[in-house]
Amino acid sequence: MIHDIKVLDIIISGLISGSTYAILALGFSLIFGVARIVNIAHTAFYMLAAYVIYSATYKMGIHPIVAMIIAIIVITFLGIICYKFLIEPIREREAAVLIATIALAMVFQESMLLGFGGHYLSVQPLIKGYLAIMGVKIMWQQLLTIIIAVVTLGAVWTWLSKTRTGLAIRSTAQDREVANLMGMDEGKIAVITMGVSVALAAFTGAVVVPLTVLNPFMWLHPLVMMMAAVVLGGMGSLKGSFVGAYILGFTEALVVFLLPGGAYLKVSVALFIMVLVLVIRPEGLYGVYFEEER
Amino acid sequence: MKRIAVVLSIMFVASLLIFSGCAKEPTEAIKIGVIGPMSFTQGEGHWNGAVMAAEEINKDGGIKVGGKRMKIELVKADSNEFLSMTDATNAMEKLCTSDKVDFIVGGFRTEAVLAMQDIAMDNKKIFIGCGAADDQLCGRVAADYDRYKYWFRGTPFKSSLLGKTCFIHLATVAGVLKKELGIEKPKVAIVMEKQAWVDKILAAAKVVVPKMGMDVVGVWQPSQTATDVTAELSAIQSAGADIIFTAFSASVGVTFAKQANELKIPAFMVGINVEAQKETFHEATGGMSEGVFTMNTYAKNIRQNELTGPYLDTYQKRYGLMPVYTADTYSAIKYGLIPAIEKAETIESDAVVATLEVMEYLVPSGKIAYEPDHDLKWGPGYLTSLGCQWQNGEFLGVWPNDWVAEEGAEPVTYKGMAPIKIPQALIDKYKK
Amino acid sequence: MGSLIFYLRKLIKIFRSEVLVLPSRVAVMLFFLFIILFPIIFPDPYYYRVIVLASIFAILAASWDLLSGFTGQMNFGHALFFGVGAYTSAMLNLNLKIPPIASIPLGAVAAVMAGLIIGIPCLRLRGTYLALTTLSFPIILVGMIFAFPGFTGGELGVSGLSRLADSYIGNYYIVTITMLVLVTVMWKITDSNIGIILHAVREDEIAVRTSGVNTTRYKLLAFSLSGFFAGISGGLYAHYMRVAGPSTLEVNTSFLVVIYAIFGGIATIYGPVGAVFVLIPLLEFLRFLEHVRIPDQILSIMPDLLGKFLVKFVEILPNTRMFIFAFFILMILLFMPDGLLPWLRDKVETQCPRCKVRNISRRQTCRICTADLH
Repeated sequence: MIHDIKVLDIIISGLISGSTYAILALGFSLIFGVARIVNIAHTAFYMLAAYVIYSATYKMGIHPIVAMIIAIIVITFLGIICYKFLIEPIREREAAVLIATIALAMVFQESMLLGFGGHYLSVQPLIKGYLAIMGVKIMWQQLLTIIIAVVTLGAVWTWLSKTRTGLAIRSTAQDREVANLMGMDEGKIAVITMGVSVALAAFTGAVVVPLTVLNPFMWLHPLVMMMAAVVLGGMGSLKGSFVGAYILGFTEALVVFLLPGGAYLKVSVALFIMVLVLVIRPEGLYGVYFEEER
Repeated sequence: MKRIAVVLSIMFVASLLIFSGCAKEPTEAIKIGVIGPMSFTQGEGHWNGAVMAAEEINKDGGIKVGGKRMKIELVKADSNEFLSMTDATNAMEKLCTSDKVDFIVGGFRTEAVLAMQDIAMDNKKIFIGCGAADDQLCGRVAADYDRYKYWFRGTPFKSSLLGKTCFIHLATVAGVLKKELGIEKPKVAIVMEKQAWVDKILAAAKVVVPKMGMDVVGVWQPSQTATDVTAELSAIQSAGADIIFTAFSASVGVTFAKQANELKIPAFMVGINVEAQKETFHEATGGMSEGVFTMNTYAKNIRQNELTGPYLDTYQKRYGLMPVYTADTYSAIKYGLIPAIEKAETIESDAVVATLEVMEYLVPSGKIAYEPDHDLKWGPGYLTSLGCQWQNGEFLGVWPNDWVAEEGAEPVTYKGMAPIKIPQALIDKYKK
Repeated sequence: MGSLIFYLRKLIKIFRSEVLVLPSRVAVMLFFLFIILFPIIFPDPYYYRVIVLASIFAILAASWDLLSGFTGQMNFGHALFFGVGAYTSAMLNLNLKIPPIASIPLGAVAAVMAGLIIGIPCLRLRGTYLALTTLSFPIILVGMIFAFPGFTGGELGVSGLSRLADSYIGNYYIVTITMLVLVTVMWKITDSNIGIILHAVREDEIAVRTSGVNTTRYKLLAFSLSGFFAGISGGLYAHYMRVAGPSTLEVNTSFLVVIYAIFGGIATIYGPVGAVFVLIPLLEFLRFLEHVRIPDQILSIMPDLLGKFLVKFVEILPNTRMFIFAFFILMILLFMPDGLLPWLRDKVETQCPRCKVRNISRRQTCRICTADLH
């Protein structure tokens, strides 16, 4: 049964998931580009941020906005510590880094499971209520999330393209060795990038937490979608990650609206589209086909 | 190297200390294995219920089996079944063959329970399932009695009966809407997660709901762990639904209720919402629990029989929470298994099975009697379950209230029923 | 009689000069002996189950190594082969009543098909692209399984399969012997020309191509071989558990395989096997946490607050199993980034700088060419 399709609904829903995936994908591809780290724990940081916000607001009674800021700072700090002590010592071994991040994600998941149990939790929205446009109800929180997400994406984009640090990060991502030869402290840039990357993940947690339900496994779904977005857009291309993220977000929204009986298929359909694109363009939409690094 | 040696020796000494403290096993004990996902609410329920039962029985000096006094000893097994099937089966095998328990209660996720059931049957251990609803579990008893006779259903009903109860709840709600708001032919949106236990209910709903004089305006099937259902909700509202018929067993139940209330969707949510059965639901939805109606086993204000009150009070006092349905390991042990052992005068599985399957006994949620396939008997006088609704942050029992099961039968009402409350948004829609 | 003694002597001589000279070979021999004699040493079905499951996952992890470790084709969706193998053999067994001995190989063939179907589009991808793309295939398949529950059993999977054997011991030996044979076969493959080419593809694909080797064909071969072995392990799993469900296809399963293989040391075959036999029993061993109690005598001499804290701590201890597991992996990696088994091997053996033959590390000179080892 197909009802009259609400274009506005699809746009809102697609924008929210698209923006979420975009911010996550941005952080993920930054650290991948700079340090060649496939950080599976990326979305686990997002999950941790959500839990920090939950405990700060409910257990300690801190104002939600303050809690969000605290969460971002705490998680960024944690991310840098994890990088310094767990990833950096083994950075030259790509395979080891890979499972170190998987294990790290498991450690986070299990810690939350220990601390909060497998219960589903949620945080109240910053702004309650909703806005009705042409008979479609949109939560204020959704609008807020979209606005903040888009502004952040813009800000990070500007930061990357306009500032010296941004330039350093982008050039390291493009060619590590040459950047190093040009006198950039590659190790320092990696730490900064890790910080920014985790901060972005925590930030996503902060803007999404009022809209979602917390549980220790909430990192898996965005992880898959985020990786799909990065691959779809082309690794190493930040623009590609954005486009990929929004394509997947809108695909999910379309599936939910057009196939009401099959909403559970949204991930499958989104991933199938990704595979199709890759079969046609193996380097992704905007990726550059580098010869293998040797 | 030296440091490692030091660390190792410290660990060794520490483990010696700990092991030396392991409780000495009493020589005469009935070992009952409690298996469940112990990091989750369901597993906590399994364990809490079993502990309460064991303590109550042991306090009275245990039970008499064939002239001997025996105490109950519980063995906890974390099945971790949500995350790992192999963990679940390993835990079961360990209970059966390594810990050598005599009886087993628990289990939740059907895929895992099917595998665990097989292991228990291999070892001829009585396994009372306290969590999985699938019909197949008892279907196996019917198909191969000799092998599967050691399986009993403890709670909940099989999913087809869950469906039947839900339809009664749906009809009750439709009746209320008709009486209060004058809706002659309510429009029903069916929203059920994509899970096997739902399939039969869904198939039946498509047929039964129109027959009950209601219009089905659409079927939505989000994933069981969906975190955003605003899309579905908008579609439901634009379809003009008055009633949302739900079947949720996982986090989508929280998401759905939360977002439906935030968006003030003018419809009555009725059906099964396992998350809403938990006392923490109000908090889990961030205070957006209002109006959710779900099938349930216990309610604060309801006393099904004389056992309900003491059970609920003790449980709440001890754990600070209302029992979830998996905590019915309590009734399974205290009112089912142990009396059956006493009667059979042995802990030998076959004898206990023979005794248990003909027993009829009172439990806090009603009266248990078994069908030939070891399923639970349903209906007035036996188990009916409750319909409960969240009203102003309180979870109240609202059904059965003057329920007539079939024509000419005595109406059923449990003690303490509250009236059903129609959501304000729905009232506003009809009474402008 | 005389010739028998002669051959026996020869055997012993070979044994002494080929097996006993290297600790790693002794370890492999002991491992085989251990697996075969295990039911005699520990006659407990629960222990059998642990070893059986470890064997099944050992095949899976080794097959991942064959593909990803050797060719560098990072496969993050190895659960696909496992799941396809499990589901196919389950459905063949249940619907067509094909006994396990045929249904498991047929399941493996289906897994090979799956390997080819995803291998062909994936050939053009490499590195991280490949890793992240392969991750999505099992997820897509889970979607399909849920979409057609009538055929696949939906989230419950296909259950009620026939057993491998009727007794614990039978099950045990069928699975473990299969494991020993398959792992040896895999090791032999990697030791052959094919293995060398696969290894070369990983190190420098262009160089291999310029030497006139059709790397595409070899990569596809690696996909099919790996799919085949993984499919067998999937089939064994289905028949051993007697249910094939969507959990075989979960992201978790894919991740676990990668963890086992890398933890043990990639491009070795024995590494992943060893890792599985360390990690799975570890996870089971950690169940002892459920039985930890603090003795009352100790509690009584402790300050009240500390005592309460300890009691609480012991209460949550059983739930820390997975946490300890993950933490253990992290710590080991920090010290042995090349994997557990290569690290151990390098501790006890050194490679001769001249003839590349391995020697026990306490030797001063090479056992073959007598070159100075240190």
